[in-house]
Amino acid sequence: MGVTCVCQVPVAEGKSVQQTVDILHKKLEQLGAVKQGNFCVDCETYQSTVNAGGQPSKLLYVMHNSEFPLSCLALFEGGPCLVADTNFDVLMVKLKTHFQNAKGHKVECRGSRYRYCDFLIKVGTVTMSSSVRGISVEVEYCPCVVPGDCWNLMKEFMLSFLGNNVPELPTVFAAKPEGLFAPADSVDTMTQYLELFNKLRKLQITGSNVH
Amino acid sequence: MADAVTVGVNLDAFSHAISGIQALRSSVTRVFESLKDGMKNCEIDLTDQRQKKFITEFQDNLQAVNRDLNELERLSGLVGRPSESHPLHNSGLLSLDPVQDKTPLYSQLLQAYKWSNKLQYHAGLASSLLNQQSLKRSANQLGPSAKRRPKVQPSTLVLPLQYVDDVIARIGRMFPDMTIELFRPNGTSAVLLVTLGKVLKAIVVMRSLFIDRTVVRGFNENVYTKDGKLDIWTKSQYQVFQKVTDHATTALLHYQLPQMPDVVVRSFMTWLRSYIKLFQSSCQRCGHFLQDGLPPTWRDFRTLEAFHDTCRM
Repeated sequence: MGVTCVCQVPVAEGKSVQQTVDILHKKLEQLGAVKQGNFCVDCETYQSTVNAGGQPSKLLYVMHNSEFPLSCLALFEGGPCLVADTNFDVLMVKLKTHFQNAKGHKVECRGSRYRYCDFLIKVGTVTMSSSVRGISVEVEYCPCVVPGDCWNLMKEFMLSFLGNNVPELPTVFAAKPEGLFAPADSVDTMTQYLELFNKLRKLQITGSNVH
Repeated sequence: MADAVTVGVNLDAFSHAISGIQALRSSVTRVFESLKDGMKNCEIDLTDQRQKKFITEFQDNLQAVNRDLNELERLSGLVGRPSESHPLHNSGLLSLDPVQDKTPLYSQLLQAYKWSNKLQYHAGLASSLLNQQSLKRSANQLGPSAKRRPKVQPSTLVLPLQYVDDVIARIGRMFPDMTIELFRPNGTSAVLLVTLGKVLKAIVVMRSLFIDRTVVRGFNENVYTKDGKLDIWTKSQYQVFQKVTDHATTALLHYQLPQMPDVVVRSFMTWLRSYIKLFQSSCQRCGHFLQDGLPPTWRDFRTLEAFHDTCRM
């Protein structure tokens, strides 16, 4: 419910994806973080079958987050988004005629969840149809609700275990005027995940060290 | 440590008396030895002379004993008596225990006694100094002064409710980013809900115009209980706000002025307002944002500068 930042960590030189993830886990544990289970974020793509005026059909993304197990988010890229409960999935099945599920495009991110003081850190591997595409790291600072306030604080924290891979302020927050806060729903977090997934979808498969 | 006990003992005469005892013992031994030997060792054959010699010897020995005894009596008069008035009465007899290494009871006893005397003295001094400034937070009158003359009850404890409301409203208007709501859920005591920007919410429990206790929680945390009343007991779920609650409690104990409670509330609110930049400020001392995962939570009482809890002077 705080300020979240999702970023991608490149695979370390000469190491596999799993090894890089292990290095990150070790760094976090050295810092004093405590492992608190696993997490899973996934995203399914639906294509609109109704083509209005010859425009390319918009893609609808339906995402789930284990942090909010009873909710499900439906959004268009850069467009409006909807937070619904898990029955929305069943609704999408009923809307088969209007929205087709692009089954091969399902992206998943699974990994461990760590807690350090008031921070929540999730390190996960992004897979698309069982091929590993990359590593994602999500850092959430729970007590604060204004992203502009605590960005420097979060950057300092990420520096301590990510080293040089510290990201810039996410575009989601850069677009907001100063002072507006992240509402209690997970829209900003999921938008960031969606950006990451789309970026990784376009990339080729990482090397030959496929887990 | 027998010399710690006041004894009127002349240590010189003591040692002389001991040697006097040894001299007496040796002269008595000589008497009995000569008696035991008898007349056998006499070289002269004639029994008369032998008897005379024996008797002379015996008389000499007895006189030596007499002399030594007189000497000892004289010396024992000089030695004197240990003082009758033990400061520790029967426990002074513990000093007679010869095994000082294994059971240093007496020395430890003396040290404990001296320490407790000193403590009592210092406590007396401290209480007389502290009583000079009355820091009463209650209307109860304790101590002997209650009997001597009826003290005037501090009138600041019984203030009209309307006055308290006015003061709080005025303070609420002082700062634009801080809103104060006043509730009276339990009788006449006011409970304030202070919302500071989008950073925190503080619940301040008052007793007329004195601040009693405070709980600080995050902006996104729930301040109400299931019944819809203000929750004044639950701690924050975030470590940073638990720390801020501790600091706020220190602050309300620091800002004290029994005669002018509205100044106190104003200074407390000014101090609390410095937390508007809780997540933006870096520590003035070490320059970092985070220390053990916490931002600088301490605000100096005079300068309102931000420090980490471990960095504050």
